[in-house]
Amino acid sequence: MAKGTGSETIIAHGVRLEGDLVAEGDLIIEGEVHGNVKTQGDLRIGEQALVEADIEAGNALVSGTIHGNILVRGKLELLPSSSLTGDVTTEVFVVGPGACVNGMIRMGAEAVVVPKGKKRTESVEE
Amino acid sequence: MYCYVYDEALQDRRFERELAQIETRLTDLGIAGKIARLALFRDPNELIRDEIRSGVTTVVAVGNDTTLRRVLDAIGDRKTVVALLPIGPQGAMTELLGMPVGVAACDVLSARIIEELDLGEVNGKRFLQSVHIDHGDFVVHHGKAYTMTPQRKATVEVRNFASPDDAGMQSPVDGRLSFIIRLPRFSLFNKKVDIGIVPFSEMEIMYETNVTALVDGERLDGKQFVFRVIPRALRLVTGKSRKF
Repeated sequence: MAKGTGSETIIAHGVRLEGDLVAEGDLIIEGEVHGNVKTQGDLRIGEQALVEADIEAGNALVSGTIHGNILVRGKLELLPSSSLTGDVTTEVFVVGPGACVNGMIRMGAEAVVVPKGKKRTESVEE
Repeated sequence: MYCYVYDEALQDRRFERELAQIETRLTDLGIAGKIARLALFRDPNELIRDEIRSGVTTVVAVGNDTTLRRVLDAIGDRKTVVALLPIGPQGAMTELLGMPVGVAACDVLSARIIEELDLGEVNGKRFLQSVHIDHGDFVVHHGKAYTMTPQRKATVEVRNFASPDDAGMQSPVDGRLSFIIRLPRFSLFNKKVDIGIVPFSEMEIMYETNVTALVDGERLDGKQFVFRVIPRALRLVTGKSRKF
């Protein structure tokens, strides 16, 4: 069970979110998200989570299921229970044994640089 | 100029001695002031507003959380400083604000460490601590950005300031409220509660039927609850051991 520290956003197991989620701090997803996800902080996707969204995050640790493209500026780690269908762009990529990835992978410091004026995921700011 | 608003429960004889000690200490510290007593058929809003109109700049709720709540309801501006002087059985605010109970609070009051706290507002009603709604079927609208729905029975709390618990600690000086959803999950041998937390500045919760929300303990009925944070809306005297 996730426990809050006051600055993080937690989408609990049993909650369904539809739309564009922009978090200011760290983000933990244990439920369902359909739309776009964006955070400058760290992202953790729980084992029972289902994310059908384009994702942008600082670092990410994934145990659940993702359908969508993912851009991680730092380190993306897929744990053994995870499944990812979509393109991956990240600086450092760690894939655990049994993790499933279907999509194009771009890696390295140059890959995560977004050209000025161009957004990888369209999202609505708060 | 100080005004001390006494809770009606302080008319009980068991508080006589402690009140006398407090009044003496306040005089010693040079912060004695007018005394207004809350009573069953006396409108506290009118009472406190009259005092503010007559030049009072600091209103001290003498009692507990409920007394402070009644004082806050009456104060609409950001100029007046508010304080809690705790006497008798206490709620959460005493510890959160770092105010000792009884005569020791006079020295903390005299030190005047003033913090500017956020307030929450739901359907035009202000709250300092939190709003609880124990009803399952709802949809949360976070502006045009997203909607959120629970897929099983859940309870909702919108929090500005509360003691640390299973949902962590929320600060009353961060310019945001926290939407907290608790979803119990039962298995054969145990019960687990999933907790979701979403910080926000404006949010709307819609129910299909009329439900009752508890706004800092007071009932508010409705189908639609519109929340917003009012940053730095309240100037409150706090102690050094405050929890934020």
